[in-house]
Amino acid sequence: MASTKEILNRINSIQDTMKITRAMYMMSSMKLRKAKEKLAETEPFFIGTQKGLAENLAHFPDIRHIYFDNRIEDDHETIKRRGFVVFTGDKGMAGAYNHNAIKMALERISGMTKDEYKLFVVGETGRVFFTNNGYNVDENFKFSSNNPSMHRARIMSEYLIDLYNREELDRIDIIYTKMLNSVTEETCVERLLPLKTHKFIVEQAKEIEADTEGTSKAAKEMKEGVKHVHSINSYELEAIQHGGDSWFPFYPSLKTVLEKLVHNHFTAFMYGALVECSASEENARMMAMQAATDNAEAILHELSIEYNRVRQAQITQEITEVIGGAKALKKKKRR
Amino acid sequence: MASLFNLTITACDGVFYDGPCEMIVIPGPDGEFAIMNHHEKMTGVVEVGEIRFKKEDGEWQKAVISDGLFTVYPDGSVKILSYSCERPEDIDTFRAQEALERAQEQLQQKQSRIEYEISNANLARAMARLKGAKTQR
Repeated sequence: MASTKEILNRINSIQDTMKITRAMYMMSSMKLRKAKEKLAETEPFFIGTQKGLAENLAHFPDIRHIYFDNRIEDDHETIKRRGFVVFTGDKGMAGAYNHNAIKMALERISGMTKDEYKLFVVGETGRVFFTNNGYNVDENFKFSSNNPSMHRARIMSEYLIDLYNREELDRIDIIYTKMLNSVTEETCVERLLPLKTHKFIVEQAKEIEADTEGTSKAAKEMKEGVKHVHSINSYELEAIQHGGDSWFPFYPSLKTVLEKLVHNHFTAFMYGALVECSASEENARMMAMQAATDNAEAILHELSIEYNRVRQAQITQEITEVIGGAKALKKKKRR
Repeated sequence: MASLFNLTITACDGVFYDGPCEMIVIPGPDGEFAIMNHHEKMTGVVEVGEIRFKKEDGEWQKAVISDGLFTVYPDGSVKILSYSCERPEDIDTFRAQEALERAQEQLQQKQSRIEYEISNANLARAMARLKGAKTQR
């Protein structure tokens, strides 16, 4: 059994750690409150742009355009270079939050050679991981995930759309963490570019409708609420069901609207993802720190019992020693 | 009085306006664009500038809007999505002035094309804000 001094040392060190975790818990709970407020403010805009895009795409005529990646030269490309925007936190100590995003990204790029993908990592933790492990990371894409602002979202989306327009990327996916409620978070993958054509949406909607048993991939994903990577999302299905086949005019021109639509949707999505991620990160950190504090308390409880036991044993031993000594003296005197 | 339609203006910091409206005037790429009830359904671009709409009581409400998109639905309702939308009295002129100067300063320097476009857009937004705030006083 360990000596009292050793146990006391451990108790002290655990108490110190607990102080830190408790302080971090308080910090993140405060930050979470702020982030949640922002999330609630942003939500109508975030959902509104996704809906707006879906409605517009449902009415968009089939044209060949770089944003649909269906121009003649796009069809002849042999390699489709894909870009992944991965949202991680700036700091660790947030439970599985960072790992989930990283794992999802690794899953997506597994089996691809280095010139087939490029990673755009937001947040320090993810960037350090991917650069240290030798993945193909864009060096110029350096953004923090703290304090989301529209300005940052704008710069990020301009940067990515520019790369897309210069045909350095053929497809852009975004990997971010969504906060479903205060206990569950979900890592989502969503395709931002190229946009889905009217034809594709109609086909997918038909497939989902025809498939009442829900066995096909599209219908299954729909039911499980998996965000649209292969298929379409609920907004698009809804839009197509509400009379998707009628055309309507675009002001001032189809091209301008498309351009604006892409920029707007991209920026709004970036901003929405930043806000969602900051809330999820703080939430994950808060829960991790809560668990750490609870664990520390449990260990302290056990240690204090052990400490008392050791102390008692020591006292008992001392008493027996004293009594033994006294008895020995007594015997000596009697003789 | 002309008939009313439902107008929703959503900005990135919340829903700016959701209610009945008689007529709305939107800044478009080639001048202003007014929409009344029973308009043909369509989608269009909103430019940075001043938006104004006539409410139920016949009063004109003005707002400074950033770039975005508007959609007219078959039932006549109009939805506008924009990065920001503010009432003139809510505008922080001091901040807008600072943003204006910052954008001008950045435009003087040598920039990449993306940086140039972002500074240009910032400049336009700051100018629209200042203009909107001035007409208020």
